[in-house]
Amino acid sequence: MPTRFYKVLRDLLSDPAKSWMLIVSIALGVFGIGTILGSYSVIQREMKDNYMNTVPASATIEVDSAISQELVDSIKSIQGIAEAERHASVVARMKVGEKWYPLLLFVIDDFEKKRTNKYEWISGVPYPALGSMLVERTAYGMMQAKEGDELLIKIANGIPQKIKLTGTVHDAGLAPAWQEQSGYGYISLASLHSLGVTQGFDQLRILVSEHNDSKTHIQEYAQKVANVLSSKGYEVHEIQVPPPGKHPHQGQMTTVMRIFIVFSFLILILGSILVATSISTIMVKQIRQIGVMKTIGANSTQIATLYFLMIVMVSTIALLMAVPLSRLAASSFNNQLAVLLNIEIRNSFIPNWVPLLQVVAGILIPILITSLPIVRGSRISVKKALDNTGVNPNSLNKNQWVIKFSQLSFLSEVTRLSIRNVFRQQARLLMTLGLLAAGGAMFMTAMNVAQAWNENLKLIYVQRLYDLEVRLNEPIDADSIVAKLKKLNGVATVEAWNYTSTSFSKNSKFEITRTYPDKGHGSFSMQAVPIGTSVLNPSVVEGTWLQSPMAREVVLNQSSRGSWQIGDSVKLTIDGNSIAWKIIGFTVDVGSPALAYVSFDAFGEVTKRPKKSKMLRIGYFDRSKQSAYAKNKEVESLLEKEKVAINTTIPVWLLHNAIAGHMKILINTLLAMAVLMALVGTLGLMSTMSMNILERTREIGTMRAIGATPATINKLIILEGMLIGSLSLIISFVLSLALSSYMGNKIGHLAFRTPLSLSISLTGVAIWIAIILIGSYIATWYPAKRANRITTREALAHE
Amino acid sequence: MNSPQTKNRIELTKVCKSFALPAGSFQALKEINLTIPSGQLVAITGKSGSGKSTLLNMIAGIDKPTNGHVVVNGVQVEKLSESSLATWRGKNIGVVFQFFQLLPTLTILENVMLPMDFCNSYPKSVRRERALSLLELVNIREQADKLPATLSGGQQQRAAIARALANDPPILIADEPTGNLDSQTATSIFELFASLTKSGKTVIIVTHEKDFSAYFENVVALADGAILN
Repeated sequence: MPTRFYKVLRDLLSDPAKSWMLIVSIALGVFGIGTILGSYSVIQREMKDNYMNTVPASATIEVDSAISQELVDSIKSIQGIAEAERHASVVARMKVGEKWYPLLLFVIDDFEKKRTNKYEWISGVPYPALGSMLVERTAYGMMQAKEGDELLIKIANGIPQKIKLTGTVHDAGLAPAWQEQSGYGYISLASLHSLGVTQGFDQLRILVSEHNDSKTHIQEYAQKVANVLSSKGYEVHEIQVPPPGKHPHQGQMTTVMRIFIVFSFLILILGSILVATSISTIMVKQIRQIGVMKTIGANSTQIATLYFLMIVMVSTIALLMAVPLSRLAASSFNNQLAVLLNIEIRNSFIPNWVPLLQVVAGILIPILITSLPIVRGSRISVKKALDNTGVNPNSLNKNQWVIKFSQLSFLSEVTRLSIRNVFRQQARLLMTLGLLAAGGAMFMTAMNVAQAWNENLKLIYVQRLYDLEVRLNEPIDADSIVAKLKKLNGVATVEAWNYTSTSFSKNSKFEITRTYPDKGHGSFSMQAVPIGTSVLNPSVVEGTWLQSPMAREVVLNQSSRGSWQIGDSVKLTIDGNSIAWKIIGFTVDVGSPALAYVSFDAFGEVTKRPKKSKMLRIGYFDRSKQSAYAKNKEVESLLEKEKVAINTTIPVWLLHNAIAGHMKILINTLLAMAVLMALVGTLGLMSTMSMNILERTREIGTMRAIGATPATINKLIILEGMLIGSLSLIISFVLSLALSSYMGNKIGHLAFRTPLSLSISLTGVAIWIAIILIGSYIATWYPAKRANRITTREALAHE
Repeated sequence: MNSPQTKNRIELTKVCKSFALPAGSFQALKEINLTIPSGQLVAITGKSGSGKSTLLNMIAGIDKPTNGHVVVNGVQVEKLSESSLATWRGKNIGVVFQFFQLLPTLTILENVMLPMDFCNSYPKSVRRERALSLLELVNIREQADKLPATLSGGQQQRAAIARALANDPPILIADEPTGNLDSQTATSIFELFASLTKSGKTVIIVTHEKDFSAYFENVVALADGAILN
């Protein structure tokens, strides 16, 4: 090994604390990148594989009555159709403890030979007998039950009946039950009938044989099949074509992971800036050595190579630590994400490009960022290097304002000196400020976004002035029931609404939606609202809210507005009919799928069912979750007594929990990253401050020689650290506002299709101020102590 | 190819050096004309601020003249680029500092091997032996594997001289090499320099020490940037 390399190695070994700090700084970034990219690569692959293994139907066609097996067979024979299967799904309710929750029942034609939207059988009986059902594995938690238990369920106006849970399956095409706050069950048609429902298989699922990733192709064939069904006398309600080959949460997960990737690269960049600051400090400290090496024959390239080699050594050790650890972390993160997505990680292999990228990024990024101080430091002339005293004598001359500012009469001599010391090494000051500001900005951004997220969730209660939504099985004349409900103790308001699924009419004969089989993801509904409603507080962002009872006017929310403009005429399908509506406003709803609001009376006129309601919205005086539990029960009892068939009930707290559950991991991971940022930022401050003091050992000796006490030296140094920290606070706060706005926009669009409002987390600001002040104190306390410990003679002799 | 007369000769012609200071321009060297033949032990003397170190820096190519020429061993030094200068200096000039300036994290042996590494002047296989023989020459071979901080000032300066000799440069320059040493150690260092001139090396020393004038074949006395003698 060349002699010069010994120098690099020994320099690193001579200050292990410093070297470890450099290693940890890079390792944190490499670890973050490896964890996130490792996880991203596996989850993307496994999510797709899991979903495709379920053989998701290309399209589902919903009709008005039962489909016969002969018809299914004839559809199968159509060229271009690979598979056809009849199916039904029913929204029932299940009783858990004292509460009723939604239960989505999938009615299976042939458990043995299921051909589309397959599940994986896990345990119990594979084919449920009469009066029993299979349960999706994530639903047991919601049901507070286990395999072999009985569950009380109720379908429409049937009477509550117990059903045995005899088997467990994993359905990778469904979001976890706890996330949707709903149960999932699989029953036979006979079992459905035994529960008092006469419905047959009213859905036809088809699989196209070619171009199964083309939405247009699928829609074309789905319409062909719908035409056949129509010609056989069926009324086609809806064609559902979910995005081909895409798990319901795929888009969401991709965006989330991309945000994480950006954050982890930022951590590496921050870590590299810290390394650059430290290397630059080391070079300043070794400037005489550089001069000596140049005197004995080293050229600038050889000097630069030495320090680049130092970076490579540090990076290599960081990589050796971070790569294996990141693989473990990715595996753990994957397991959490798998739970979140309800998928099974069958192959946890992290592709080789991930560690390769870690190696390249972990070496190249630090080299790139440190190249400026290294190249600049290595090109210094021998004379300048040998004459160097550790401080640029001209730096303060260029900043007369610093001198003038520090001369303000109320400042003490020590404060004056501290202020000037802050600006002595301007390049280093800039790097330190940059590092701290970036770390602080990202920390506060994470805290701000988390707070904005929570505030946005609270809007669910602000916009919804009701506490319970009751969807009815059949449209009813609701006047009398509304009056009775209003008389219940604690009920503040009751309104009768209507709703239906809808789609934008595209000059096609049939309504085509993007709805997934769980009926939630990708759905688009029309809600018929009484004019002057008191249970909804819509956030109208453009145009106006509904005002005329009979006008064919519509207000679209952010998930349905697309590129429509106020005044446009839009055709929306209702029960298969295409109806034109004039767009008068746009709202931003928190926690709603795509919605079109129309007047209750206009809806009644269009559907030819005036005054009929399929939805009741009930608000309570006491909106707390505990109170709502009890009131919901009373409402349901009354409706049962009045023989009003409930399809499903959706308490607002349940909706709140479901949305919070969707993004919990994102917010938590964002906060975890914020902690990493804070760590790197504090390390940076500590590194810079200790170096600032170390290179002034001689000066401190001079001050001691002319009478400065250790307390004065302490005060001087600590004040300097605090000043740098405080300067960075201002910059990081301003930066955090811009970053929070950007992140809030991204995450808001992801979750709510609308940006999160900018929210400043005072807790975040306070924590960061505390980190900076405590960090500055610790960072300066030790070097100050060390500077005071050495004798004046030693300090004066310090090179 | 240099003639025997010009080989390793140092020639300064009308060398001026001025520095821009906040208070105005300061002329450190004023039209210096100086020729130093090879194989001599030359002292540069003068009071503080007289221009001794500046003159030495001109010869070593550490600094460039504002006007005039510096020719060392036939090479016009001020015309070399910073990179060429480093290589040239490594091979032609050995520098000894007042405060030794040994690299603190390298052993004495490694410090001596370092110039050979930078200039790639000897095959790797012989560098260690050469460094050891140089340490032998300066009488500190037994200290080879120690770090500089564990050695006395005199031993460190001997190590610095060994390092200066590593690439076998024809010229050695030393800026107050005994300024930080006791008189006994200083004597031994001067004896060492004197012995080096016997092997044909030119040694130029900036010094205040008048007690060692017997060692010098030439003394260049400077005052206010000009040669007095």
